[in-house]
Amino acid sequence: MDKIVDSYRYLRGVSKTLIKKWVKLEAPREIPWTPLAKPLSESTVALISTGGIALRTDRPFDQEGERQNPWWGDPSYRVIPRGTKAEDIRVYHMHIDPRYGEQDLNCLLPLDRLDELANSGAVGRAAPSHYSFMGYLLDPQELLIKSMPMMIEHLRADGVDAAVFIPA
Amino acid sequence: MGLAQREVERAGIATIALSSIPDLTSAVSIPRLAAIEHPFGQTMGRPGDRDTQRAVLSAALEAMEEMSTPGSIRHLPFEWTGPMKEALAQLPVAPPIAGHLKWHPWELPRLLSRDVPRGA
Repeated sequence: MDKIVDSYRYLRGVSKTLIKKWVKLEAPREIPWTPLAKPLSESTVALISTGGIALRTDRPFDQEGERQNPWWGDPSYRVIPRGTKAEDIRVYHMHIDPRYGEQDLNCLLPLDRLDELANSGAVGRAAPSHYSFMGYLLDPQELLIKSMPMMIEHLRADGVDAAVFIPA
Repeated sequence: MGLAQREVERAGIATIALSSIPDLTSAVSIPRLAAIEHPFGQTMGRPGDRDTQRAVLSAALEAMEEMSTPGSIRHLPFEWTGPMKEALAQLPVAPPIAGHLKWHPWELPRLLSRDVPRGA
């Protein structure tokens, strides 16, 4: 039989209750749609992780701000260049175990795997820049209003045809 | 994540979301979703498990290429092996909201309804 992913398999206690409630808060709305303009083998692909990943040389995500006000989360984003390795980054998301991604960035942002798919011809090209933001934002307004337009401008400038969102 | 994805799709770039909580990610009406039953922090696979990481990324990209209807969802066939205890391991440090609710349990209903205190 075909696999059906259990949304609640790795959730327990309050987290499980929360997610079930949050699912019910949403009502269906119009779905945006952009067809893939060309085959993947000719497309430029970017990856976007919600792991709160930043280069060690870049500004850290604001964990202290979330400690001070647990209802808040840092709504900014960071650019992660192609070729970045685990030793170059830190994972700032406070709702997941950051150690896997810090050991092997490909657990969260599979830049090496994307390069391999580009080398084999399955994908046209890996974009020069990839992105990360904090996935746990109780109020996403600032992410949507301030961060996403800047990220989109950068994606366009890089000629990105397809983006894969990867949750942490 | 789904709300951010909608913005990128709306801007004219095709998108797909991997998700280990497809019920939640799809609830905000996103164009394409590939569900993956992997634990948090290891969405693509274990550290060093290149084959699984590559297979998951390939599967998401293939799904993207094949989907032609807004709101398409594909459940990827990957099975996580190994003890549940490990997959469900406690975080090294509890998130701030967990500590906050321990001392302010009456605020739990606000979290359940995502009624975020303004200027808190």
